[in-house]
Amino acid sequence: MKYVRVLALSLTLATALAAQQVAAPIPDLEGGWVRIDIDGSGSFNGLAAKFARAVLTPAAQAASAEQAKRAAQPRFDFARDQSKPKAAGEGYVVTDGNCTLPGGVEPNSAAFHVVQGKEQVLIVRENPGMPRTIYMDGRAHPALSRITPTAVGHSTGRYEAGALVVETVGLTQGNVTAGGWRTPETKLTERYRVSADGQRLTITYTWDDPKVYVKPHSYQIVAERTPPGSWAFESWCDSSDPGQRLSIVPPQQK
Amino acid sequence: MIRHAACITIVLLVLVTLPVAQGSPDISGFWELSFDSRRMPSANLAPAVTPAVLAKQAEKDAHAIRWCNFLGLPAAMDSPRPINIRQGRREIVVNFETVAVPRHLYFRAAHPNMDIFDPTTNGDSIARWEGDTLVVDTIGFDGDKGVTMIPGGGYRTSDSHLTERYRLLNDGNVLSVTFTWEDADVFRTPHTYEFRYLRAPRLYEAQPPLACNPFDDARTTFLSQPGSSRE
Repeated sequence: MKYVRVLALSLTLATALAAQQVAAPIPDLEGGWVRIDIDGSGSFNGLAAKFARAVLTPAAQAASAEQAKRAAQPRFDFARDQSKPKAAGEGYVVTDGNCTLPGGVEPNSAAFHVVQGKEQVLIVRENPGMPRTIYMDGRAHPALSRITPTAVGHSTGRYEAGALVVETVGLTQGNVTAGGWRTPETKLTERYRVSADGQRLTITYTWDDPKVYVKPHSYQIVAERTPPGSWAFESWCDSSDPGQRLSIVPPQQK
Repeated sequence: MIRHAACITIVLLVLVTLPVAQGSPDISGFWELSFDSRRMPSANLAPAVTPAVLAKQAEKDAHAIRWCNFLGLPAAMDSPRPINIRQGRREIVVNFETVAVPRHLYFRAAHPNMDIFDPTTNGDSIARWEGDTLVVDTIGFDGDKGVTMIPGGGYRTSDSHLTERYRLLNDGNVLSVTFTWEDADVFRTPHTYEFRYLRAPRLYEAQPPLACNPFDDARTTFLSQPGSSRE
């Protein structure tokens, strides 16, 4: 009788463990990805043109407007007489020349690379900036009073129904795609889902913060897997090169 | 009878957990160097590497430091902050909390065609397991970018070939990495040194990288004083 009971218990345990592995399949996100222009907008500015616009609270609208006012000030080309156009080929100063960039949560024009470890998922872009460290070991977010907000915040993740679900807080205050706004308290939830053929990655972003949004703000970005045998490009930037600051395209002014 | 059932239980549990437990070691973790982590014998330099050549190279490195250029290898692996190594199925990514771009160590049999590969500060790295040792082979360096000085002597050039051997020690709490540089223009014989990284606490949190502002005048003055840069 005892034998049957132990055997039954072991079978139940083994079945439960096996079921757990089946219930939480780990999608294969690993490798290089490049964001694609699924709407055919043809420009960086047009990539989010068809996204639903964020509905902000009055307080967030005011903060966003204030930020827009600051951004409209000429920052780097201030010494130039704005009334005099540049000669053909003469550069506009568009950056401060510093090569370090903050990074960010969304993919930009550079490819990004995902590596899936047991305790972490790491996402690195090909251009400078902080990588995204997504803790998969069950840890909680630290208290916001104990962390310095950054462009990538603090992220924890889990696998859920074939998707990687990432929750992030602790982001620096600023703009969000499609008219959104964020503060360190704003929670971002991302769902990374790979297509059946493994070639497309759809990332659903949902921003949630009752102080900022009247309703959660959501949109999707799609990326395509880089071909087999591809390698990550290494960006290069030299602050000692005066040309590093320049663009021949006039900076957009509001 | 009970013993029999217990054996069946163990076999079933092993079978269920097998896909997770099998395979090569996992060197993932945050790893940091301590004051006693470096064993760097003096390099046996080629006759062409004269004091004048070394001085010129040191000048180039000082420029890279002054302007916060991405460090590249081998300097990035000598980071004052923990380095984050994450092992996946097809590659390992190494990320640094200093002014350096991440490394990608691909589990591949061959390097890309170097005729179409743009040389970089980190080069192109391919990795394979030899028993419990991860062997990483790197070529494709740019000798004109980043900080090039090699611990123990010599410097990285575009022709340098680096072989690294990663091995876990002390129940996985220490990561030994031996670096072997080969470059006929710089070394008479291959130059090998070893770093032993200590595993950072389990709940270590990745930090923003060390700041480097090339337009900070006080920093520039500091760096312009004799002995302040890697000479």
